Amino acid sequence: MREQSKRAEANRQAIAQTMQIDLTRQFRDKCAIVGVGHSRLGRVPGVSALDLQIEAIRNAIEDSGVRLSDIDGLLCRGPQDVYCHHQLVGARLGINARFSTSVDSGGASQALSVALAVMAIQAGMASTIVVGFGGDAWSSTHANEDARLANDTHGAKRPKEFGLEYGFTGAVAAHALGAQRHMDIYGTTREHFCEIALVCRENALRNPDAQMKKPFTRDDYFNARMVVAPFGLFDCSLRSDGAGAVIVSSAERARDLRQHPVLIKGFGSFNNTRGWFADDNMVHTAAARSGADAYRMAGLGPSDVDVAQIYDCFTYMVLTELEDYGFCKKGEGGDFVASGALRMGGALPCNTAGGLLSEGHVDGMLHICEAARQLRQTHAPARQVKDAEIALVSGHGGNQVCHASLILGRD
Amino acid sequence: MSEAPRRPLPSPPQESQAFWAAARGHRLSIQHCNACGQAWSPPSQLCTHCLSADSKWIDAAGRGTIFSFVVVHRVYHPWFANKVPYAVAVVELEEGPRLLTNITGVDPAALRCGMSVTVTFEDVSADLSIPKFTATPSA
Ligand SMILES: [Zn+2]
Repeated sequence: MREQSKRAEANRQAIAQTMQIDLTRQFRDKCAIVGVGHSRLGRVPGVSALDLQIEAIRNAIEDSGVRLSDIDGLLCRGPQDVYCHHQLVGARLGINARFSTSVDSGGASQALSVALAVMAIQAGMASTIVVGFGGDAWSSTHANEDARLANDTHGAKRPKEFGLEYGFTGAVAAHALGAQRHMDIYGTTREHFCEIALVCRENALRNPDAQMKKPFTRDDYFNARMVVAPFGLFDCSLRSDGAGAVIVSSAERARDLRQHPVLIKGFGSFNNTRGWFADDNMVHTAAARSGADAYRMAGLGPSDVDVAQIYDCFTYMVLTELEDYGFCKKGEGGDFVASGALRMGGALPCNTAGGLLSEGHVDGMLHICEAARQLRQTHAPARQVKDAEIALVSGHGGNQVCHASLILGRD
Repeated sequence: MSEAPRRPLPSPPQESQAFWAAARGHRLSIQHCNACGQAWSPPSQLCTHCLSADSKWIDAAGRGTIFSFVVVHRVYHPWFANKVPYAVAVVELEEGPRLLTNITGVDPAALRCGMSVTVTFEDVSADLSIPKFTATPSA
């Protein structure tokens, strides 16, 4: 019996190893981001999430030089109450698609969609795929108090117990639970979270399209009202109207198009679907295994990364993801960010367009756009990470436990 | 003046009704699997460890530790307007399961992960009591 289970385990390991080798061979450097676009961003009243999405896609198409009629794949996602968003996108673009769906993993959906686009292209299911997200979170939560309440308490979408009766209202409190646990275990402080907020704001001030235009200081951070302790106002990302899109095609084709190709070198995904409260998932996030797979596919490691776009729905998430991605050891994220590593010119410039905290919360779609732009090396000098060759992008969401990672490289 | 805001209360699905019925009698009830011997929460028809349908409800001892906690300052729902700041925690019971709850009767500044807590019940109405936790009195 024991002999049998040993053999079964050896078998499983052999299969797992074979699969990893095949993944690397089939997907590394085979596809590229060939177009990047975003819409108006921030407060864009009177324009629907869908129209913003189309605006971003139009900009990505123009950027790339592909024709609208070349597009045969749509991996587009919208606000959570929109049914089959991707179909509505196809209708407004006036095209049919061979491969089309909306991924449902919250903020991980966009990075995961880029990975799916590569898989679909390699499987011969499509050749030119739009990955996009469009949202109207600012407008929809500022329409009236009922809309705000429905958003904050997740209305009918959540179980009707073990939540709101305790005054527990979803994302802010859930992430704050992780932040507090990290603080109590490792001695992480709000000073560390403050540094992350400051980095994002300073980067946003160099980005003319960013939602946040005003500088803030360490004092402003500590004087701001508490939201859900340990989070204050500046630990929380924005509510934004806006959209982003990228176009994925084969690396071969990318070399004949308008822009310098940005290769998709590796991707990975992991989901702690047992839940945010289970195991120690609040502190050891799914970024760890998601990142490990992406590194393996790319044949790279954390020391190869020149610039990182880390999903920053809350300051704490950046800190814990940096640890999980191996930029420092678990528990040392506070020291790592305090060293100034995340700043322009630092060891790992991070969220260089301002992130969800200060550029705009478009569910991480703009992180992918910014990573590609950094690797094209076409930013104005103040925004450009010098000689950026390798970028890491993270996506996090789906009740805090779904994660996807991309490693992109300059061709 | 608008009318007073309605307190958000649980409207439990089928699988949780035994939990809330027990809470009304000031018992903290969790499911225990007869097949694998483990307990779980929140309630579900099949054991979340082994998917067995052979389980029973047991009364938890009502003791546990704070796995993590937050202090809510913002008024998300108008009923909580005069309750902020209040503490929300995930408590790990001695029996294993973790529950979302409130910590009452403790200065929020004194809360720590790992702190020992004991169940207490807030009687909301003739039909409903809500389990919460408070600091375990030192022996
Ligand atoms: Zn069981």
